[in-house]
Formats: sequence, structure tokens, C-alpha cells
Amino acid sequence: MGESMEPMGASMGAMESMEANRDTILEMKDIVKVFPGVVANDGVNFSVKRGEIHGLLGENGAGKTTLMSVLYGLYKPDNGEIFFEGKRVEFNSPGDAIKAGIGMVHQHFMLVSKMTALNNILLGYRTPKDPMMDYEWARSRIEELSKMYGIEVNLDEKIINMSVGEQQRVEILKALFRDVKLLILDEPTSVLTPAETERLFKALKRMSAEGLTVIFITHKLREALEVTDRITVLRKGKDVGTLITKNTNERELARLMVGREVEVSIEKKKSAAKEVLLRLENVYAKNDRGLLALKGINLSIRRGEILGLAGVSGNGQKELEEVIVGTRKVEKGRLIFNGKDITGLGVRKRIALGISCIPEDRIETGMAPSLSVEENLILRDFPNFSKNGFMDFGQIEAHAERLIEEFGIKTPSPKVEARTLSGGNIQRLIIARELSRNPLLLIASQPTRGLDVAGIEYVRKRLVTFSEEGKAVLLISEDLEEIMQLSDRIAVIYEGEIKGVLEREEADPEKIGILMSGGELEET
Amino acid sequence: MQIKIERRLETPKIIYVIIPIASIVASLLFVGILLLAIGVNPFEAYGVMLTRAFGTKFGLTELFVKAAPIILTGLAVSIPLRAGLWNIGAEGQLYMGAFAASWVALYFSPPSAVLPLMVIFGLLAGMAWASVPGILKAKFDLNEIISTLLLNYVAIYWVEYLVYGPMRGKEVYNFPYSDLFPDYAILPRFLGTRFHVGVIASFIIALVIYILLKKTSYGFAIKVVGSNPKAAEFAGTSREKMIISAMLIGGAIAGFAGMMEVSGLHLRLRAAVSPGYGYTGIPVALLARGNPVFVIAAAFLFGLLYVGGSAMQTTFGIPVAIVDVFQALVVLFIIGGDFFTRYRISIGGDRND
Ligand SMILES: Nc1ncnc2c1ncn2[C@@H]1O[C@H](COP(=O)(O)OP(=O)(O)OP(=O)(O)O)[C@@H](O)[C@H]1O
Ligand SMILES: [Mg+2]
Repeated sequence: MGESMEPMGASMGAMESMEANRDTILEMKDIVKVFPGVVANDGVNFSVKRGEIHGLLGENGAGKTTLMSVLYGLYKPDNGEIFFEGKRVEFNSPGDAIKAGIGMVHQHFMLVSKMTALNNILLGYRTPKDPMMDYEWARSRIEELSKMYGIEVNLDEKIINMSVGEQQRVEILKALFRDVKLLILDEPTSVLTPAETERLFKALKRMSAEGLTVIFITHKLREALEVTDRITVLRKGKDVGTLITKNTNERELARLMVGREVEVSIEKKKSAAKEVLLRLENVYAKNDRGLLALKGINLSIRRGEILGLAGVSGNGQKELEEVIVGTRKVEKGRLIFNGKDITGLGVRKRIALGISCIPEDRIETGMAPSLSVEENLILRDFPNFSKNGFMDFGQIEAHAERLIEEFGIKTPSPKVEARTLSGGNIQRLIIARELSRNPLLLIASQPTRGLDVAGIEYVRKRLVTFSEEGKAVLLISEDLEEIMQLSDRIAVIYEGEIKGVLEREEADPEKIGILMSGGELEET
Repeated sequence: MQIKIERRLETPKIIYVIIPIASIVASLLFVGILLLAIGVNPFEAYGVMLTRAFGTKFGLTELFVKAAPIILTGLAVSIPLRAGLWNIGAEGQLYMGAFAASWVALYFSPPSAVLPLMVIFGLLAGMAWASVPGILKAKFDLNEIISTLLLNYVAIYWVEYLVYGPMRGKEVYNFPYSDLFPDYAILPRFLGTRFHVGVIASFIIALVIYILLKKTSYGFAIKVVGSNPKAAEFAGTSREKMIISAMLIGGAIAGFAGMMEVSGLHLRLRAAVSPGYGYTGIPVALLARGNPVFVIAAAFLFGLLYVGGSAMQTTFGIPVAIVDVFQALVVLFIIGGDFFTRYRISIGGDRND
């Protein structure tokens, strides 16, 4: 039932009464959405005022994406009503929602990769000269929007050649082009670099100043506090409160989301340097387009340490990850793992030697969406779950149940298709699988992307204890803060080369920033 | 009034049951209309089909005899299908199996070794035929639909050439037949009918494949490749190896079907060894969604059509080609039905204006 309490009574200042004067653009009442085995939305009341940036927070699996998918016409709610601009609406499809003035940018973009940005924006849109395409008119309108909100893209570039941040800007322009009044962004910042995040926030603030309304889903409390006007928190499918951003703080938000205090700091002792576990010697590799992506990488990862790899994405991190995992060919150079040359070994042998990986591309590489949760949990270990070639289903199920419990993966049962899990729970599934085989080396690429506060803390702690057990972590992350917090040493990659390796004590964001953009440090 | 097509995120499980059943019903309806158009009462025609198949001992054993090769070709399509491949070439693989087995039957000795050798050569010939598209797909990403399809023609014409030429029998007048196989090259039959031991073998093979696909780590690896090839590589499962091996197993089973047909039924090599069982395997695999146990069920449906089809021919003078029409319709409906797993259609007024 709709038991929404509004813990905002503390200080009703002048600002709030002004806020209250704004009219309500969206009102979702008592929304219920049930999936087999899960109540994803359990009587949610959610109201958004015109022109505000409204944060939507909640743990992984709390029902945020589902609530927004209901609003966007992707799911039919089992109960509840939606009022948009004062009128009761019922959207049967995203088409209806767009017509009414609602746009949504999904966590996984829905662009046609071989088409240009311009064509993607125009896809399905009727220009005034319909059925002929009026590119001139469209181009000038898009440019106008670009200027107005400060969202720049190269309209003639194909999506496939764009960075994730740029693709996201195309998605946003696509929505703005359709004259949305309400824009939903589902975890837009989890794939962005800090600089891109700043740009996005500027654009969002301009939108709000122009009277556009934005719903912003995130797991990063600091971002929510920085950019939103109000915040609604979901917990276990229910709304547990709407707060005015100015009057709240990280602690309160975390407590509302999780239902208890969350510890927000991590103890990381400097590791005692031990022997080298993995050494890359002058490694060259090509990317998917056949161009050199790694140009003579020399890098050592020692037992007991977390080695952070900082860099703007697209500078060879993915290729480096794949070269170590064994799915990408080494053109030149050698990999020495635990004293053994593994350059020519296949993936499975490397798994057996103790190399684990949380891949950057969790949906495309990390899992098989149409297989069940328990099958995904043995995806890279299934030879260990068979006797004489026959799968041991009892053991598989027991394994799944243990990991679901230990890593807090929210799923109605181990048998459901993995693709029905929420974004953060897919990430948990992959982390659970990779840590469960007790490896020696863990390559962790953006390991906390998409995780909620508790999940982030949990994973970071696991990485730290893992390294303290005398094993090694290669932490690939765009989140400098994460790298600074966890790493013993920090390597910086730029255009396929390691620009420098810094001890944690000598590293600061400024130095790393210089190296990340291809600069040199003066001292050396 | 407005008809809208919407993408659906949720696919109710029941759809997967409804689609095959609805496809069969719709195909029966369409064929019924066709029958009406040529002046045959469809109820009568379907009635004849059923009584012929189930009414007599002969009909019932014929049903098994026709269903057996379809079970095998259904499996030959299903296994690659689970790895995400379309094996349109079961027909050609069957012909090559028939050819290799006939060659052994007619020219090999000693007699006691001939039947086992026929099985082995049949399996190997089917495998060899399937290996070509498998390797081309794995190494060069050549479309397997086209390569398997084209190789069918090569195999069919190869057998035709043989039975018109080098392998034509001495006592067959002008028919495109080889000589009859010697007794020791013929599969044992039962009940005084054409029910031969190959029928039982087909059931056993289906069960073995069921276990292979559902219970073994090999079956799991195939499923992963079919679901997400990139994840399979990441798991250390070689996509290439799985593609090739799935094609090889499929080809071997189709090759065995060819051996079974010549040794159990025709008792010689001839042109038109199969009335298109290899192609029938496609709708069978689709109806069964790649599950070997359901393949048996679907094979019986099509076996019934083949038995009934010849009955309709003798009773009403309807060409047996009507079976092909039915088969094609089922494929079309299933593929069309797949649409409904991803989209829903709603009909209603536009409330905005
Ligand atoms: N299509 C679906 N079928 C079945 N269950 C689903 C489906 N979509 C979501 N769920 C379930 O509903 C619950 C809520 O999922 P939702 O995606 O809304 O979470 P979320 O708050 O967006 O989480 P995250 O922060 O991890 O993205 C989860 O338990 C999920 O497993
Ligand atoms: Mg989500």
C-alpha cells in the first residue's frame, strides 16, 4: 500500500515553499509490477515536479529500472495509475510515451551501430517533408539543441566509432529532438569518465533551467547530492521516502536505501611487496579493427598487491584484459605467469592456473543471457562440475545457492534466466563466479560499475582481503577515486603504452591526470 | 481503430507451447483450403490419413518406418541448431550415407563384416559431407545455410549419376537402381512387415542425443555457444571446435539415416532414396525446439503425413507433394510465430485523438 512518509519536515524554509509551488508533472500512484517470483514494484508512489532534477535511488534490484520501464510503456503495471501533466495516461508502448513527451535513455543503449549519429537521431522520426528526409532542417534543429544544452556530438560519425559518452549524448539528443518534457536517465554516469560526468551534469542543469524535467537514476550518492533537487528512495520495491536534496546527506540516504548504517570507509594497508605473479614483456596486440592497440606493454603484478590501471577508456585496457585472459592473440612479446610462459596457452588452461576476470563488457562477454543463473555461475568452470563428462546438477545447484547467499545476488530462484536480473545483480553474479574458483590473479575491470553502496563496499573489501591473502588484483577502472583508494601501485595507460607506474604515496590525481592525457612527469 | 505492434520485454512461457500447436493447426487449415479448392473434402481426406496410419497393423508399422528417418534428420538439424547453426544439408548427408553404405553392401566382404561396415561408412560419409560447411563456417564464417543447401544437390546428383551409370544393376532393366543388396547387407525385419531394426536404433539414438545435449558438459558447451559465442570464448570453449563438432554429429546421424533407408527399406541404392526427409528435419527440429525427445513426437506427426499422403494419393488422386506444402507451411508459421515471442500486437482505438 502507499505508505509514503516524507522525512523532510525538519526545516521548512523559504526555498521549500517555492519548490512546493511548482506544479506536478508526473504522479505515479500505487504502482505494482510482479514478475514470476518477484514483486519488483510493490505499491510505489512517485511524484515529480516540473523542471526539477529528481534522483531515483535504491539498492540493486530495488525496482528502479522496472518503475521507469512501466512509465515508459515497456511494462504494463499490474496495478496503479499514472498521471502525466494532470491527465491520466496509459502507455502501451514507448511510442505512446514519446508522443506524450517522455524520453528514456537506457543503461544499455539502443542505437544502430553502423549508422551515423544523425540517422540514429532521425530514425523513426517524421520530418516536415515526410516521406522525404529533410536533413538540412534536422541538422539545424539538432545543432540548435546542441548549443542550447551544451551537448556536442559529431553528427556524421558512425555510432560504432564513438566512445560510450558520445553515444550517450546521441541518445539524449535523440530524446530532446522529440520534444520531451520529461527525460529519464537510467544510470547514465556508470559508464562515464569523471570529465564526461561533469559535462552531463552541466547539460542536465541547463535542461532543468529551460523547464525540462529529468529523472536521474544513480548509485553514486555524491552525484545525486550534487545534481538533483529532490531524491526518492526505493527499497525492496517500495518507496521509502522523498527528500529534498539540500536537507540530506550521504549517511541519511545510505541508511534509507539499505535500512541500516553503511560503513563508508575501507582500511587498506600498504602491502608487503612480494614476488612477481604476472609479468608482461613487451606485449603487442591488435584491436578488433586490426590496428595496434597494445604497443609494447611492460608490466609486473606482484603477489599481495592491487595494481591499479588508470586511463581514459579506449586506450587499450580492454585489449590488455583480453590478452591476459587469453581471448586475444599476442602479436609479439610474452606473458609470464607464476614463473611459466603462458603466451601460447588457451583460456581454459589459464583459468586452471588461477587467472580470473571480471570483464568490462559484462553483458556481451561475461554471461549467457538466455541461460539460467546457476548455469551462468559455472559458465567458466563447467568442466569442474562434471564427472566423466556428465554434469553434476546437484553440485551445480548447491554451488549456485551458496554464491547467491554469499554475494547477495537477488533472484527469485537459481533457475531463472540470467537476463531477468537487474543490472547490479548481473554484476554480482559475475563477481561471484570469478572469485568462487579461488584464483591467484583477478583482473577486475570496472568491478563496481552498477553496484549499490553496500555492493561497492562489499566488492572493494573482497578485493582488499583477496590481495592480502597473497594473491594479486589488476584493477582496471576509470574511477580515479576507486583506484586511489584501493591500489598499492598505479599504472597509467595511454594509447596502448604504459606511461608510468606510480607508488600510491607518490600518486595524486593531478599526476595521474597528466599521464592519462599523454603527458610526461617532470621528475623522471 | 488501430493495430499496433509493440516490442515486448516479457515473453510468457505459454507462448512456446502455443506457437508449435498453432502452427500445426494453421497449416492443417491452409492445406484443408487447398484440398477444398481441388474438390476434396478435407475432413474426409484427413480421416483417410488417420485410419490408414492407425487402422491397420501395416499402417501402424509404416508410420514407425517413416518416422524413423525423420527422427534422425530432425536430430541432424537439432544439434547444430543448439549451437546456433542451420543445417539445411541433412538431405545431402543422408544421400552420402546411403551411397557409402550401398558401396559397402555391394562390393565388400566377408559377409559377417558387411552390416557393421555399412553403419560405419554411412556415419563417416554423412560426417564428411557435413564437415565441409562446418569448417567453412568455423574458419571463414561462410554462411552454413547456403553451403549445406548447395551440397545437397551435389550429393543427390552424385547418387543419381551412380545409379544411372557405374552402380546401375544388371537386372534392373532401365530403372535407376543398383542391384539388390545381398541378404547379409539387409537389416532384420519384424512382424512380417517393413518394421526393421533401424527403427529401434533411431529411438535409441534420440535418447543418446538427449543425454548428450542435456546431461553432459559437451551439451552444456554447445548451449553456451548457441546463447552467446563471445561468452563461450571467454569461458575457454572454442567456438570453432563446437561448430565443427556439432555439424559432424549432425552429419553422422543423417548419414546413418541414409544407411538405414537403403539397408532397411529399399534394399538397394536408387535415385530418390529419400522423399525429402532431410528437409523435413527442419520443421521437426523447430517444432521440437531442439529437444531430442520432442523430435520423436514431431517426427511422428510428419511420419503420419507421409503415410497419409500416399493414402490420399491412392484414394483421392492428390499428389504426395501436398506433404511438402504442409511442411513448408509449418516452417513459415513457426518462424512467423517467433515474432510473437518478441512483439505483441494490440488492437484498439487511438485515445489521443
Ligand atoms: N523481465 C524481468 N523478468 C523477471 N524479473 C525481472 C525482470 N526485470 C526485472 N526483474 C526483477 O525485478 C527486480 C527489480 O529489478 P530492476 O531492474 O527494476 O532493479 P533496479 O532497481 O533497476 O536494480 P539495479 O540497480 O541493479 O539496476 C529484480 O529482482 C529483478 O530480478
Ligand atoms: Mg536498473
